[in-house]
Amino acid sequence: MAQKSIAIDAEVLAGKRFEYQEDMSLVDDLDLMELTPGRDLNWLEDIHLLEEDGIPAVFDRNSNAFLKIYFEIPEGREDEIARKVLMKHLISGNSYGIQLKERHCKFHQVELGPWVADSKSVGDDYTPPALEGWEPPAH
Amino acid sequence: MAGLTRSGVVYDARGLVEPDPEPPMTAQIDGDRAVIDATDLTTRKINLELKRIVYDEGVNDVTILNPGSRHSLGVGILKRCHITFEGSPGWYACGLIDGPEVQINGRVGWSLAENMMSGSVVVEGPAGSLTGAALRGGDLVIKGNVGARTGIDQKGGTIIVTGRAGINTGFMMQRGRQVICGDAGDGLGDSMYDGLIYVGGNIASLGVDCVPAEMDDSDHEFINRKFEIYGLGTPPDLKKFECGKVLHNYDALEPSERKLVL
Repeated sequence: MAQKSIAIDAEVLAGKRFEYQEDMSLVDDLDLMELTPGRDLNWLEDIHLLEEDGIPAVFDRNSNAFLKIYFEIPEGREDEIARKVLMKHLISGNSYGIQLKERHCKFHQVELGPWVADSKSVGDDYTPPALEGWEPPAH
Repeated sequence: MAGLTRSGVVYDARGLVEPDPEPPMTAQIDGDRAVIDATDLTTRKINLELKRIVYDEGVNDVTILNPGSRHSLGVGILKRCHITFEGSPGWYACGLIDGPEVQINGRVGWSLAENMMSGSVVVEGPAGSLTGAALRGGDLVIKGNVGARTGIDQKGGTIIVTGRAGINTGFMMQRGRQVICGDAGDGLGDSMYDGLIYVGGNIASLGVDCVPAEMDDSDHEFINRKFEIYGLGTPPDLKKFECGKVLHNYDALEPSERKLVL
């Protein structure tokens, strides 16, 4: 019998695991101060290393999913690395919530959010999805 | 009846929405800066113009003159930029923003920066009730007093109030931090699940499951850093409060419910 999972993982939503979940060198050079408003970490202060299914993970509020981290995290850098993995996920456009914007945004906004300058706009030409063969009942 | 607009508004029988979706094109743009004089503009026109120059014109520093206490100004800006209000916005100012650094040279009404995701809002005066309601991230600084239920349902971010706070400050707070430099009213931190509240003045009474805690080095580092960034001088002696966790039932929650409170 197939195993049933009730978890919502970033990699389950994407159908694949991302390289930066397994290789710290891909996130280590990110400048978190540059990526956040103001003179400190701003909203990233609330991002901490958590655990999901017994594996270190960071929570992505944009897709309501955990992003698991499979590489060994140096002691004392837990939150920093969690924040860097999350930001890499967001600025790469791999967050499932961001990917939904292209089709489902109902108003004008930047696709990748405030973290990426000159990100393209989405939401200008929203049309409600139509179910083929269905028509609203006559009232 | 108006045609279908880009905003989707076709007809508003109550007259509360202006179906015309076109920005007024009245901003004075000078390079990376722009000024909007809101004197003769409706709320919707002000917001349309603000979004036009921030998103379409690529302006990153906008000043709004004469906001005239209109409600819901500066809402839904999802981009890094600087916005200055010369005057006082009304209710629900700067709600749902993600990225802007906002300076308000005036006072504000209810629900300032409701559901802010990131960025900062600094007010050079008092604010009404429900300031920072459902705040998710970023910094909210009020250089004055605030009304009741500051940071109700707060889920992240930092709220700093240099004056007094009303009743039920931090009501149902789930995460984040509040620094109240003056007195706090009855029911401080009532039914809070998590988060930290620092109070410099007298507290009328603590709410359910809000308990005193010991200040440590990380608390002092955080408070000193925020006061330095926002030029607030020397922090007062603060008392720290947190959740007593008597009301915690996380273990009984479904995984999907648990994620909703993260």
